[in-house]
Amino acid sequence: MPLSILLPMVVLGIACIAVLLHLLGLSRRATLPDAAAARAAWLREFPGDAPVHVTLCQDHSAALIETETGRGVVWPMGADTTARHLTGARTRRTKTGLRLDLPDYTAPRIHLTLAPDEAAAWQDALKETA
Amino acid sequence: MTDMITFPDVVNWAVPLFIAAILAELLWIVIKGRGGRYETRDALTSLIMGAGNVASSILLGFVAYGFFMLLWEITPLDLGTSIGVIVLCFVLDDLRYYWVHRFGHRIRWVWASHVNHHSSQHYNLTTALRQTWTGTFTFMMVVRAPLILLGFHPAMVLFVGGLNLIYQFWIHTEAIGRLPRWFEAVMNTPSHHRVHHGRNPRYLDCNYAGVFIIWDKLFGTFVPEMEEEKVDYGLVHNLGTFNPIRVAFHEWVGIVRDATQPGLTWRERLNYCVMPPGWSHDDSRETSGAIKARHVRQNPDLADTPGLPPLPDQTP
Repeated sequence: MPLSILLPMVVLGIACIAVLLHLLGLSRRATLPDAAAARAAWLREFPGDAPVHVTLCQDHSAALIETETGRGVVWPMGADTTARHLTGARTRRTKTGLRLDLPDYTAPRIHLTLAPDEAAAWQDALKETA
Repeated sequence: MTDMITFPDVVNWAVPLFIAAILAELLWIVIKGRGGRYETRDALTSLIMGAGNVASSILLGFVAYGFFMLLWEITPLDLGTSIGVIVLCFVLDDLRYYWVHRFGHRIRWVWASHVNHHSSQHYNLTTALRQTWTGTFTFMMVVRAPLILLGFHPAMVLFVGGLNLIYQFWIHTEAIGRLPRWFEAVMNTPSHHRVHHGRNPRYLDCNYAGVFIIWDKLFGTFVPEMEEEKVDYGLVHNLGTFNPIRVAFHEWVGIVRDATQPGLTWRERLNYCVMPPGWSHDDSRETSGAIKARHVRQNPDLADTPGLPPLPDQTP
């Protein structure tokens, strides 16, 4: 197929599908209904490192996890979730909460939506981890 | 020897079909409320990966094709282009695909290229298009060498490889359950390939087939989809980014970081490149074999069921 046809078709096709998905309401991010859901999401990534304490953020979008090996975070990846240990993480306050910079090429930056008092508390907790 | 043979570039011609089928699957899911899941950023990443794969084929395709034409110059054999030869080439190329795919899961250097195809936590037709940008650097084109040396023209080999990829597109769906028993017995199907995309310990490293599932049955890597164990899609450690650049290159970055750690022997550095994903010099990580063994230790009742090993003391 000539590139002059293939290229516009690919670009338009991708754009149309992305817009359609968004208009259909399929851009909603996952939420963690309760601490049990956060715990399950953590164990899905780290089945051998059970949480001893779970702090669910107020809007249920993420959770701070404490295990015997250290702290970690569960956060939404689109309609799903993922999790990381927070060893070596740097924190920075943002207008909407907290930004975590991780020494991890597969999860370099995590934006957490937190209330101001919550962001301060999480930042304090994470200072001990970094 | 016939050098001026042309076959259609079937993958590029199938692009409109891919777009139409994605829209049809999406509408089916939205209308019926079942048959899979879509999410905007996930799908967008998959589609960009697909476009990047086409771009990398255009930019780097000459490497493999040049290699194949060199072999074609060398070989004294020419099987021609009859229908029978094309069918035979398709079947043998599917066997070639099985082994390349198996290497892609068992050799980290090749996994670095293939991993992005497994990096979505969704399983829909866009996942089929989440393809590598770095396939050329795995040097897996050498596995096609025997076909060309046997007398299959390089253009034909690439043509049947394209047909193989097109076949594999439609099996990336949850909208189709099980197909008739005779079909499931011979062909790769949505059910078999869902298993291949699972991150459940049971479903790791199995069902490598492209078109014919018989290769997995022949070489002992077949695991059926179990009613009692729903497939959990994605990687053992799921990505925390939708950035296509990071999706495409993350495992290569991981190899470089691991292999250049201070204090390793040269053998350990090499092993970080060629041993199965999850291998580490200090056993601080888990390979799929170790994950399966741990899962069986934690769930002894599952020992020696499809995809899982026996308990250690039951090993002959």
